[in-house]
Amino acid sequence: MAIGKSKFRIDAPGKVTGETLYPADIDRENFIHAKVVFSNKPHARMKRMDLSAAEAVTGVLGIFTAADVPVNEYGLTMFDQPVMVGVNATGRSKVPSDVSRWEGDQVAVVVAETPEAAQAAAEKIQIEWEDLPLVHDVWDGLKDDVLVHPEAGTNAFKHYVIRKGAMDDGWAAADVIIEGRYEVPHQEHAYLQPEAAISYVDEMGRITIEIGGQWTHEDQEQVAHALDMPAEDIRIIYPAIGGAFGGREDMSLQIVMALASWKLYQKGETRPIRSQWSREESIIGHHKRHRAVVTTRWGATKDGKITAVEADVYLDAGAYNYTSNKVLGNFHLCVAGPYEIPNARIDSYAIYTTTVPGGAFRGFGAPQGAFAAESQMNKLADALGIDPLELRLMNCLHDESIAITQTPMPAGVSIRQVVEDCASASQWHQPLADAEPFQAFQSLAADKSNIRRGRGIACAYKNVGFSFGFPERCEAKIELYGSVEIERAVLYHSAAEVGQGTHTALRQMTAEALAIDYDKIEMVLSDTAFTGDSGSVSASRMTFMAGNAIKGAAERALEAWQNEDRPAVGQIRFTPRSTDMIDDVTGKGDANISYGYVAEVVELSVDIETGHIHIERVVCADDVGHAINPNLVVGQIEGAIVQAYGYAVTENLRVVDGRILNPRLSTYLIPGIKDIPLQVDSVLVEVPDPQGPWGARGMAEMPFIPLAPAIAAALHDATDVWFDKIPLTPENVIRTLRDNEKTS
Amino acid sequence: MKVSMTVNGKGVERDVEPRMLLVHFLREELDMTGTKIGCDTSQCGACTVHLDGKALKSCTMLAVQADGADITTIEGLANGDLHVMQESFWENHGLQCGYCTPGMIMSTTALVQDNPNMSEGEIRHQLEGNLCRCTGYHNIVKAVQQASEKMGGGD
Repeated sequence: MAIGKSKFRIDAPGKVTGETLYPADIDRENFIHAKVVFSNKPHARMKRMDLSAAEAVTGVLGIFTAADVPVNEYGLTMFDQPVMVGVNATGRSKVPSDVSRWEGDQVAVVVAETPEAAQAAAEKIQIEWEDLPLVHDVWDGLKDDVLVHPEAGTNAFKHYVIRKGAMDDGWAAADVIIEGRYEVPHQEHAYLQPEAAISYVDEMGRITIEIGGQWTHEDQEQVAHALDMPAEDIRIIYPAIGGAFGGREDMSLQIVMALASWKLYQKGETRPIRSQWSREESIIGHHKRHRAVVTTRWGATKDGKITAVEADVYLDAGAYNYTSNKVLGNFHLCVAGPYEIPNARIDSYAIYTTTVPGGAFRGFGAPQGAFAAESQMNKLADALGIDPLELRLMNCLHDESIAITQTPMPAGVSIRQVVEDCASASQWHQPLADAEPFQAFQSLAADKSNIRRGRGIACAYKNVGFSFGFPERCEAKIELYGSVEIERAVLYHSAAEVGQGTHTALRQMTAEALAIDYDKIEMVLSDTAFTGDSGSVSASRMTFMAGNAIKGAAERALEAWQNEDRPAVGQIRFTPRSTDMIDDVTGKGDANISYGYVAEVVELSVDIETGHIHIERVVCADDVGHAINPNLVVGQIEGAIVQAYGYAVTENLRVVDGRILNPRLSTYLIPGIKDIPLQVDSVLVEVPDPQGPWGARGMAEMPFIPLAPAIAAALHDATDVWFDKIPLTPENVIRTLRDNEKTS
Repeated sequence: MKVSMTVNGKGVERDVEPRMLLVHFLREELDMTGTKIGCDTSQCGACTVHLDGKALKSCTMLAVQADGADITTIEGLANGDLHVMQESFWENHGLQCGYCTPGMIMSTTALVQDNPNMSEGEIRHQLEGNLCRCTGYHNIVKAVQQASEKMGGGD
């Protein structure tokens, strides 16, 4: 068996020696250098752009703007953003290109002999702007006084509904009704490797981009669309990628670098171009996890059965859609939690504002939904005097349940088991053990009288794979070499190794599917010139989809081997059963093929004088179906929990008047080693997913999702105060505690 | 300005712009890209190297300030075989995307050389200056503990 074992990462030797090349490490003779210029205007119309002074800078080779983009539009699921904002947009796009709707809109790419010359020229580009009124937040957006995209007719450009059962019956049956309003913030991905890329025209005449992304073929399609070229004329290669977490799904340097290489090549300039963003450019220039507000009301009988849920979700999409319409869909389903809800009324809106776009980030709408749903559950439990664990077991979904989408749940529903396993691993039914009082500051001794301890639980579910009718696919090709016996096998695959360990898992699954030695597997990876469309590394989907594709390709290759083909080749495009967009009027629809299930218990201390939170322990039970590589799975859990800790406690992106005020790691605080939960206990639950390869289930997002509400529940246990807004920075904790003293 | 130093055991001499940072000197002048740049504000520690045996964020020093120094980068740590710390990060899954890894390894090797008997708490304390966005740090601590035992600690 090659799966089920904690094989060491195949990419580790290069990474521990520094030999691995990330995009900014690639060395080529004769690099020339590109600089992307941001609009620096949250909302303004470009009246005039003058490049003459910039073009006169010594060493400048070319400056490319909207006027150079054949089809000046971009968008992963709908085209609503110009590749570059400019007055002289050409081409066929209907997207108005002369308005900057966000400070990070791109207006030009300058190519020069040196980075210094490119920078100098960028500063000499003269633009005359007419400022337009800002749309600061969702409330501003909902007024529709100022439209971010007038052609859309409204800022609230996407609206999903759920109309299930009869709300009057639900409220009539309720003995207790809990109302809540929840606010969740932006989150910056802060992958350690800032965006960087090289571009050139390869020996076959293909415009080639080497960059870190999450889906080679989507990058290829987006570049091809904007450049109005066939996809096969564009080549995308992923070298090593320094983290992604959803933040590399949308385009950063891909289109503009391709444009620059193409335009210069036509002028006889064949030198490769290089560009890299600073940390500040990375934070200003790419999307964030969406901030959002939820107002919601849950009813339950006195013995704990949920009777009704209503919710209104307001998602700040920012300046462009990016993946907001899809994120909103997940949010919409997760805001009712992994429970049987007989009656529901949910309205969810994605709203344009003149702020940084929201987009994909680990969890993809589920963490926001879960914060509201799980906080409501904990408040219900408190009001009913029922253990919050028991309340979950009374209501959780099972294999025969009808989902919130009014369709049957996909088989393999394991929420009950993850909750039970989490409870037993965390000794939930035992009293919370004492802990050493923590010291918020090294120079001030711990004051035991200010420390309160508490414990909280939350659980969650989230879809695995593309949802709401978005077409799934994953291609794999396997070649078998040898004469009598298979001496080696080669897998061709595009899965992006962003750090999660997918390449190691691919190799394990290939060995397993072929029943040959792991060491005989070679791989050709992530280069559109050689590898087929795998879909993205997102939605916790790659192990699930690639495993199925590898099984199919292996079967065909082995068949060809039996037929004496040498080399024997097997190739497949795996597609799971399709999903549906939910209905506009009822919200009914078979939106997802598979879900992941997770539960977490948090034990913490809080200093009620300083507002500091110290988490002693997190227990996470995550159903992974079948752990292909258990240590890699545990690594995903531990990493997700620390990222979620940052989301819940330390990370505080400040966006005022369309401006990010803290675009640096000195002021945007991702967790360091001394901030994090001291102990993380990972419980790998293995309830096979009937559709998953060897029963494997998508898992990498799940451990992120319930942490914030579990922390809020533990804080309530410690202080008797509910915390409905994150991040729980010291000042926010203190403010909430003080406000509560005033009102109580 | 002329600057000369020893990098991974070899003498190097270059004429550099006086404002050039040591990290840029290593990456751009010497093409040694194992040392990473993650933040520009000295938070992340991805650019950590050894200067005369001590761990140093190479973005906090100008190349000219390192004149005459003995520098070791991640490329120079292994001596034929992998260094015990490199092996230990590999075996303990102490890395994911790998971008913080060279800095983590350079920080921890200097620490363990100075103090091979660090407790878990001390290791955590000493790694405050290196950020990792992927692993959640626990496997990094395990890697350092194991390497530290092999490097002669615990006796």
